Amino acid sequence: METRQQGSILFSAVLLLIATIVVIQLWLVAAAVDALLARQIAVLVPTALASGVLFLASGGLLWYVVSFDRRLRQWGPHG
Amino acid sequence: MGDFEGRRWRQDFPVRWDEDHYMTRRELAKFLTLGSGLLVGVNLLIAFIGLTGETPAAPARRIAGTGDVEPGGSLLFRYPTIDDPCILVRDASGRFHAFSQVCTHLSCAVVHRPEEQALACPCHKGAFSSSDGRPLAGPPIRPLPRIVVEQRGVDLVATGIEV
Repeated sequence: METRQQGSILFSAVLLLIATIVVIQLWLVAAAVDALLARQIAVLVPTALASGVLFLASGGLLWYVVSFDRRLRQWGPHG
Repeated sequence: MGDFEGRRWRQDFPVRWDEDHYMTRRELAKFLTLGSGLLVGVNLLIAFIGLTGETPAAPARRIAGTGDVEPGGSLLFRYPTIDDPCILVRDASGRFHAFSQVCTHLSCAVVHRPEEQALACPCHKGAFSSSDGRPLAGPPIRPLPRIVVEQRGVDLVATGIEV
């Protein structure tokens, strides 16, 4: 398989992963609001931390795929 | 392309194909990551509100007299503030129970249904037990906050809230 095609598949896969992460974060926000209304304060900090970790993961994925793309453009498809 | 300009369907679909805005996968990935960051901010804001928000004080206050509610009846009152609607229920055996009147699903006001021994939410057909506030039916999953009621002579006094 050509490197460019591999890169395209990789980009699509990473995009799907980031979208999944955002959906999980939306669920975390809903859970946090529910916990706040129920005054279950102990849930709120772990929820925010989990959301932060997911953000770092999505940022890392984006950085990885963009740098992969940059390398590909810099060195050519067989570099 | 110019041939279509006079067509009637062009009025319903005025966006031209060559003028449409395309979003690349890279832009979408950046947009989603930005959204991910915003959601972290929302979660942190919720945590901040939860950790710094003050729980309203619940002072002891007379809410009704024992003779004000017949067995099987109910009475509305406000506790601890004027913005907190509550409902006092007297069951068939004469015991008093009080709960917040705000449904834990989407904050509609619950009403007493003595024949079902329930507090029903008419908005989405939710129901809570009128003896302990636990959810019985419908979308609510959290019980109603219970108002602690003490009988002092002929007075019923609210002394606190149990979430």
